[in-house]
Order: sequence, then structure tokens, then C-alpha cells
Amino acid sequence: MTGGGRAARIGDLASYVALGLLAVFFATPFIWLTSLALRTPAEIYLGAARLIPEAPTLGNFARILSDPAFLIYLWNGLKLSALGGALAVALAIPAAYACSRLDFRRKQAVLIGILAVQMISPLVILVPLYRWMGALDLLNLDASVVAIYGALGMPLAVWLLKVAFDAVPLEIEEAAIVDGANRFQVLTRITLPLARPGLASAFILAMVMNWSQFLVPFILLERDADWPISVAIFNFAGAVSASTTQLLAAACLVAVMPAVLVFVLLQRMIVSALIAGAVKG
Amino acid sequence: MLALFYGVPVLDMVRLAFSDATLVRPPEDYSFKAMGVLLRDPALPQVIGTTLLFTAINVVALQVVGLAIALTIVRGEARGLRGMTAFRTLVLAAWVVPGIANGLIWQMLFDEAPYGTLNSLLAYGGLGPVAWLSDPQMALVSAVIANLWQGTAFSMIVFYAARRGIDPVLYDVAALDGAGPWRIFRSITLPLLRTAIAVNTVLVTVQTLNTFDSILALTGGGPGRATEVLALFTFNTVFQNLDLAGGSVLALLLFAISMALAALVHGWRGRGAA
Repeated sequence: MTGGGRAARIGDLASYVALGLLAVFFATPFIWLTSLALRTPAEIYLGAARLIPEAPTLGNFARILSDPAFLIYLWNGLKLSALGGALAVALAIPAAYACSRLDFRRKQAVLIGILAVQMISPLVILVPLYRWMGALDLLNLDASVVAIYGALGMPLAVWLLKVAFDAVPLEIEEAAIVDGANRFQVLTRITLPLARPGLASAFILAMVMNWSQFLVPFILLERDADWPISVAIFNFAGAVSASTTQLLAAACLVAVMPAVLVFVLLQRMIVSALIAGAVKG
Repeated sequence: MLALFYGVPVLDMVRLAFSDATLVRPPEDYSFKAMGVLLRDPALPQVIGTTLLFTAINVVALQVVGLAIALTIVRGEARGLRGMTAFRTLVLAAWVVPGIANGLIWQMLFDEAPYGTLNSLLAYGGLGPVAWLSDPQMALVSAVIANLWQGTAFSMIVFYAARRGIDPVLYDVAALDGAGPWRIFRSITLPLLRTAIAVNTVLVTVQTLNTFDSILALTGGGPGRATEVLALFTFNTVFQNLDLAGGSVLALLLFAISMALAALVHGWRGRGAA
């Protein structure tokens, strides 16, 4: 498709220049973080002069990853976000299926209501939630955090799954019903397998959001050993000085990488699910 | 079976709506006293001012940059230019960085020591060091930059989706009529993206209002209260000062603003459907 008039080629050039400048802005933090994480303490003080360290070292990563506490934080983060994401999707499946297949009054209102719930900051509900959970002795439990993740992630999951279910042809379901399947069998045997990309996208997105979540575990989990990585690096940052910047950079990179990698690898699938959701929404 | 599939989500919705409604109801030991004390708090006007400024700048900047990126990518894809997906991926990668990590990363970039990233880069250009985080006004700018880095992806996706939803025939006709790029943008793209922009404005406003973890890690609200937005003020009131009553009032304020904006979205959608 390239080619065309002179004006079009100037336009191409302008596009590249604009995107190039923006790419510098968006890439700099990642590049710099990597650079810092590979430096020895002495090179930290050299600033931009040592973007590519003269004596690159993996020692910072080795020190971070050999700390058993750090591995526990990573594992906690993974565990909480995966369980929370799974719960959100599990809760969203019946709701999304109903919104997609059944005609009931005020369906639009329900969908808008779900969206409205999404707009409430966790900050707002956490103050009373903390008191309640304290009263019910539910603080410091992974299950409490997972339950809240499930509730927080559900609205977005409902929207994404509804769009995914809408794309499954009604005829296939009708054929199954003619063959004697009931609604539940249709859902589990036909619709869910066909909506697998949508399910996966919803799960990954919920999981990535949970991975970033700071407030919920910060408030509900008081014991050091229960913390996920997001809370741990915040605490770690309070304890570092200039001489340990390279360690903080390495820790940040380790904390950021899982989410970024998953997203980059699966981005085609996730972006198309998001776009489909955005168009319908 | 029908009743089951109808009932589960509706019950769940009732549960959610119910929990939200009661959860924000203030605790029992609450009286108007706390509200009065809080409203007379000299810090509150400043916090509200900072919040308005921070939110307004972000909402405009996020959307302008997001729209520009989305339109450029759509154009690039139509022209078959390479690297569009790679660029989109880069922007999205910033989006999934946890808020706390975002604050910490930018704190390293804004490091004011001579060896700090941006200052040492500026020194190459012969420019003096900038007090990124210790100057009250500059700190707010820095917070906006960090938020822009992370938040642009959302607007980009929304506008990208909306732009691709526009019938290409309109553009073909405009090209036949000899309309220039600016005229096409003003007469076709902008009017047809109006709903998307309206809805996105509200969504981004709510998101920005609720942002506090990146600011917490970046500046902690300082210097002084220069970057302390309402959400962070709420967090500090509850978890630094352990003032649950005051925090509840602030949370209620935050909730009311969010709901008012959500109602606005509903209004827009209703009008669009009619």
C-alpha cells in the first residue's frame, strides 16, 4: 500500500517523526530502569554518561532473587492475582451469559450498573470493609484479598465476556438444545469452549490488574510474609538510599516484568477483546 | 433454568449494589462533628485545588495524546507502514506497570542529584538542573508526566476502536471532494468521535481522581501538600492519621463525585441510543 503522492509520503515521514518522539518518551523509563539495574554501585553516580554500563553486572538480580523473602513476595503476588482473576471470571460467566442470551427487562440498566460499580475506587469501599473484616476476624487472610479482587475484577470481566458470548452463533446453541442439552450443558460444553479467547483475555486482564493492586493487600494483610510484590517494593523503597538504587531498580524490573511480558506476548488477543468491548460499550 | 441464569447475576448485582450502598455508610460513632472538623481543615481547599488542577491537566493531556497516537496508528496501518504494532505494544506496556512501580521508576528518573537521569541528560544540553520533585509547581508537573506515561494507553485504545468503527466510505468521499487532512479531521473524524470522547472524558476523569498509588510512591504528596490529591489525602487521613471518621467523609466525597460522573455517562449513552 505504500507509495502514492508526494504529500502522502511527507505524511508518512511526519507520522514516523511524531511516533518516534513519543516512542522515546514511552521507552525511556524502561531503558533507564534496565540500565540502572545492571550497574555496579560506582556507576550509578555516573548518570547518563553510562547508559550502557561499562561493567554490566547481574549481581543485583542475583542479590534480589537469592533473598527468600523476595521470592515469597513474587509467589504471593502470583497466587493472589491468579486466584482473584479466576474468581472474577467465574463470577462473571453467569452474569455475562444472561446478559448475552436472555432478554430481560432493564438489561441495559444492569449493564450500566455494572459499569458504574467499576467507577468506584477501592479506596472508598476499603475503609468500611477493613472495619467489617476486622470485626469478622477476616484480616490477614489470602481468601479475603482474593474475594475482593474477584469483586473488583468482575465488572470488566462481565463486559468482555458478554461481547465474547455475543459472538458465538445462536444456531449452534439451538442445535444443541434440539439434541436434548439443557442450558447448563450448552453453556459448559458449547459456549464456553467457543468463547475461549474472550475468557482468556478477561482472565489475563483481571490478573494484570490484580498484580498492580497495592491498596487492598496493603490494608488487609499486615504480616510481612503475606505481602505481594507490589506492597513489598513500596516498603523496600522506603529503606533504600542512593547507594542501593541499583537494587531498587532491579527489584522494580522484576516486579514489572511478569505483567509486561504476559501482556506483550498475548497483546493481539487482548487488544482485540478490548477493542470489541470498547466498540460495544 | 431460565430463572437460575436470570437470578444469579441479578442477585449478584443486588449484592454488589447493596454492599456499595452500605459500605460507604459511615460507622456508628460518626456525627456531624467529624464532617465539620474536616470541612474546616485548612488543608482541604488546597487539596481540592490540587486535585482539580491535576485531574484537569491529565484529562486534557491524556486524551489529546491518546487521540493523536490512535489516529496516527490508524493512518499508518492504512498506509501499510511498519512498526505500528510495535509502537502500540510499547504504549500498552507502560499501561500494565503497577502504579507503585510507576512512581518508583519515575522517582529514579527525576532524581535531582547531578547523576539523576533527566538532570544528567539536561546537563549534556548545557541546561541547569531542574528541581523535579522538590519545587512545588515542578513536582505537580512531574506527577502529571508520570501519570501521562502510564495512562495514555487507555485513551489510545478507546479512540483507536472508535476511529476504526467509522465507515471508510466517508473518507473516500471526502478525498474525492478534495478535502484536506485538517478539513477531514474537523468535519468527519471529530464529530463522529464525539460520543467516544464524551464517554472517555468521564472514564479518564474518574480514573485520574482515584489515582493515588503512583503519587504516593513518587512524592508522597509533597513537597508540603503540593501533590496531595483527594484520593491520597483520603489514604493519608485513614492510614497515617488513623482518622476513620474523617477518611469516611472524604471517601464519601470521592464516591459522590464518581457517581455524579457515572450518571453523566448514563445520560450521554441514553441520548446516543435515542
